[in-house]
Amino acid sequence: MNAATANLRRRASTTLHYTVLVAVALLCAFPLLWTLSAAIGTEGNVFAFPSSLLPQRVSLANFIEVFRVVDLGRYFFNSIWITFWTVVWTVLVCSLAAYPLARLHFRGRRLVFAVILATLMLPTEINFLVNFITTTHLRLVNTYAGVILPTLAGAIGIFIMKNAFEEIPQDLLDAARVDGASELHIFFRIMLPLALPQIGALVILTTVTSWNNFLWPSVVLTKSNLMPLAVGILELSGTFGSSTRVIAAGAILTVAPALIVFFFAQRFFMRGMEGAIK
Amino acid sequence: MNLPLLRSIARLARWPLMLLAASLLLACDSAAAPDKVHVEFWTMSLKPKFTPYFDTLLQKYAVAHPDVALEWVDVPWDVMQTKLTAAIVARSAPALVQLNVPWAYDYALVGALQPIDDLMGEDRARYTDGAIADLTFNGKLYGFPHYNSVNVMAYNTALFRKAGITQVPTTREEQLAVAKQIRARTGQYGFSPALGKIAGVFLEEGLPLIEHDRAVFNSPAHVALVAKLAAAYKAGGLLKDKLFSEDNYPASIDAYKSGRMAMLEAPPSALTRVRDDAPDVYAVTDVAPVPIGGRGIAAGGWLFHFAMPRDTTGRVAIEAARFAKFLTDDQNQLAFAKLAGAFPTSKKAAADPHFQNLPMDAGAYGKAMAIGAKSMNIVRTLYVAGVPGFERLNKRLQDAVEAAIIGRKDIQTALDDAVAFWNTKLGK
Amino acid sequence: MMADSARLGVPDPGNAPGPAGAIDRRMRATGGARPRAKQARQAWFFLAPALLLLLVFTFWPVLWGSILAFTEYKIITPPTWVGLQNFEDLLDDPVFFISIKNSLLYLVIVPVIQLGAIVLAVLVNNSLPGIKLFRAAFYMPVVTSVSVVGIMWGWMYNEQGLINAVLQWLHVINEPIGWLSDDRLALFSLMLVTLWRGLGWYMVLYLAALQSIPKDVEEAAVLDGANRWQRFWRVTIPMIMPTILLCTVLSTLSAMKVLEEVLIMTKGGPVSSTYTGLYYAYDQGIRAFNFPRALAASMVVSVFCIGIAWLNFRFLRPRHR
Repeated sequence: MNAATANLRRRASTTLHYTVLVAVALLCAFPLLWTLSAAIGTEGNVFAFPSSLLPQRVSLANFIEVFRVVDLGRYFFNSIWITFWTVVWTVLVCSLAAYPLARLHFRGRRLVFAVILATLMLPTEINFLVNFITTTHLRLVNTYAGVILPTLAGAIGIFIMKNAFEEIPQDLLDAARVDGASELHIFFRIMLPLALPQIGALVILTTVTSWNNFLWPSVVLTKSNLMPLAVGILELSGTFGSSTRVIAAGAILTVAPALIVFFFAQRFFMRGMEGAIK
Repeated sequence: MNLPLLRSIARLARWPLMLLAASLLLACDSAAAPDKVHVEFWTMSLKPKFTPYFDTLLQKYAVAHPDVALEWVDVPWDVMQTKLTAAIVARSAPALVQLNVPWAYDYALVGALQPIDDLMGEDRARYTDGAIADLTFNGKLYGFPHYNSVNVMAYNTALFRKAGITQVPTTREEQLAVAKQIRARTGQYGFSPALGKIAGVFLEEGLPLIEHDRAVFNSPAHVALVAKLAAAYKAGGLLKDKLFSEDNYPASIDAYKSGRMAMLEAPPSALTRVRDDAPDVYAVTDVAPVPIGGRGIAAGGWLFHFAMPRDTTGRVAIEAARFAKFLTDDQNQLAFAKLAGAFPTSKKAAADPHFQNLPMDAGAYGKAMAIGAKSMNIVRTLYVAGVPGFERLNKRLQDAVEAAIIGRKDIQTALDDAVAFWNTKLGK
Repeated sequence: MMADSARLGVPDPGNAPGPAGAIDRRMRATGGARPRAKQARQAWFFLAPALLLLLVFTFWPVLWGSILAFTEYKIITPPTWVGLQNFEDLLDDPVFFISIKNSLLYLVIVPVIQLGAIVLAVLVNNSLPGIKLFRAAFYMPVVTSVSVVGIMWGWMYNEQGLINAVLQWLHVINEPIGWLSDDRLALFSLMLVTLWRGLGWYMVLYLAALQSIPKDVEEAAVLDGANRWQRFWRVTIPMIMPTILLCTVLSTLSAMKVLEEVLIMTKGGPVSSTYTGLYYAYDQGIRAFNFPRALAASMVVSVFCIGIAWLNFRFLRPRHR
């Protein structure tokens, strides 16, 4: 096989590679791209193809309309607030639970871990009814604590952190213990800093799920000045609702922040997941 | 527990804890003052269009009733049942909630709502007889009537002309024939009947579901109606999107706006959306009454009202009732109906010149309001009441008719099976 | 990484009470820098917040729900014990059978989603120019809120929606297809949405696994003269087997428990063709106020979940470990 054919083959394979990538990327992004073009376009039939993908006149009028009809700034702030605290507390609660499961010896360790993993199998999707009653008794309806608390202790989060802690060399722990460091000191000064990549992954994961969480906040929050974006956006549809283009603009505004976060945090996320999956 | 552990936890957790506490406080700041009666009321999908209307109204009420703290919560249609059920189970339901009749009936049946005959008192006479009758379940009144809708039929004259249709249909049968013709000549859809509420479709035609405690919807008349629907469906005359969903309104208005459907059965307010979103279609739109077969029945009655959950008691109940009457009094109903393009349920508001002297030549919307206003007093919400476990029976009927219309099952067999199922349950 | 979970339920000899363990513990308690009893106390201290939250918001609802499933409970009156009545009612309801059948049918997306995700992960596991953009594109659906997914895919699947418009433009079809309105298609249309939402997520997990394969393993295979195809089957797949197990279990469970797609797009219709086990439960609880039957249905779903997860472990667990 001479160099020229080898080169040709390599180029052909790269082309094929890209063709597949572009095709799948288009399929994945198509609904969002179309929504975007519907949102920035102003006239013509929204559902015509391919003309609707390339709007002739571009304007931000639909976005302005969204801000005019719903209190988007408020929802935006609520989403950020809820997401921020969910992330902080999830990381804390999950890593605290993961540490003894990974590194401490006590009776019932395996059982506890098995029980936590078993929550993945339970149909927790319809727990929200009983949870709403509990939340009412705890007087947490219409509070952010009510939104946040039930989501904090997740099996996936504990699992990721447990794997992270298991990677850390035993020598470091032994040395610290010999120096008389408390377990809490070890946890915050050694374990957490060394697990930063996985914490990063957990942060991004939690950010995205919390940002998009829909069913539970819509049940536990009744006041619209507390609602996050994913719930508030529903005000745009409905019987007295807005036009397709305005709803599209609202959809884009809801999705964009999570997308931007993911795009810029991608590398961090990948490194963390790598640590978690090993 | 060892002290250093606790201390370092306290140190580390201090700032997030403080902020969490602050956020809890922030969330609670709107709690009402203790000496006021707190009346929370929910409306269904009225934000953002009616925000200014309610804001002024609440301000006005607050001035007149300084001892009442009102709280307005608007709940999107999609999540209303989820939220209300959860709230009722947790005993944290609002003092008043806006519902439609079938949902209210379901809630009333399990005892989640309370009758309001005593609270209503003599004011009952202010509301139209149809509205009061709609809200009377088992002899008791279950709500303060608010606004109603009446459907009209908007049609696209350009599509009619293209299909060579010169006569506007006046019966369902004619309408289904027109739908087929439109499909054949123009390639567009005819219309979208509300098949997701199949019980209502039968009742509009004057065809009963139950007689003498037996299900009777497998009669030749019922079968013939389903057969005509199935034929129109097969010929492509009916819009398929959301045809069988409980709410086919958004899909049908979209289809009509884009000129892909010739006839739209909807409340007049739909025409304002056509006017705003698709002026070209609006320009060729004309309006006629909905062609239905029953005697003295107006199509598309869909009453909204304020119901009172069972845990609303004492002073709260009294104040809530007073406020509900204010919300639904002549003046406020009139203002709301004008704004919404809906119809009032108060006799005085309905008698207002706004509804009685509507010009027929004021564009499609004006004409729609005029046509709708004519049947405002006889309009009823058509549904089946007084049947325990109706939810499940209705599901069976719905599935049978759907399967028959799309040709999965023989019509007679499908209806016979459903009737048999109903009768085993009704016999119990 | 899956070693622990793969051995779920197997007692740990190190922790089993017995003479050896007891002696071991006593020796450490007297001689070690950190006595075991104290370590155990601290362990529970660390676990406390998570366990408390799980207890209140996960186990309590499941437990209370399991009890309610054997009662009759109509919101206003206290529940009364009726034994297996609710389960018998389920057997009497054809819609429930459709729901379970659909939930099981939904499992066909598991191999599709996993194979697709592995292939995508292999394709983006390099540093070709623009590869980050592709990864982000594949991940876009994952970060899209359910409410927005419902709105967007409604537009896609409309009779006059985008998918039909594209297919008609390409002259693949003449008549628009009723993606959600045809009872034979609707469930598969929902599956496509699930696939769309899940592909990127599993791709990221596989990509992470691929990146943690040591370079020398790959190089050794190249030196042995293995071609790309052989390397994929003989090196890559065995190396990421634990991840495949994890992802398969996760996606099996979420397929079995699919609810959101149904809720936002079809509400079970047309002709009950898109009822799934959990949607049935949701519908019974929220719309028919029949909580006991809803909870009974969800118990049946969990039994299926546990059974299927067990099968997954049984057949996919790496044997050499």
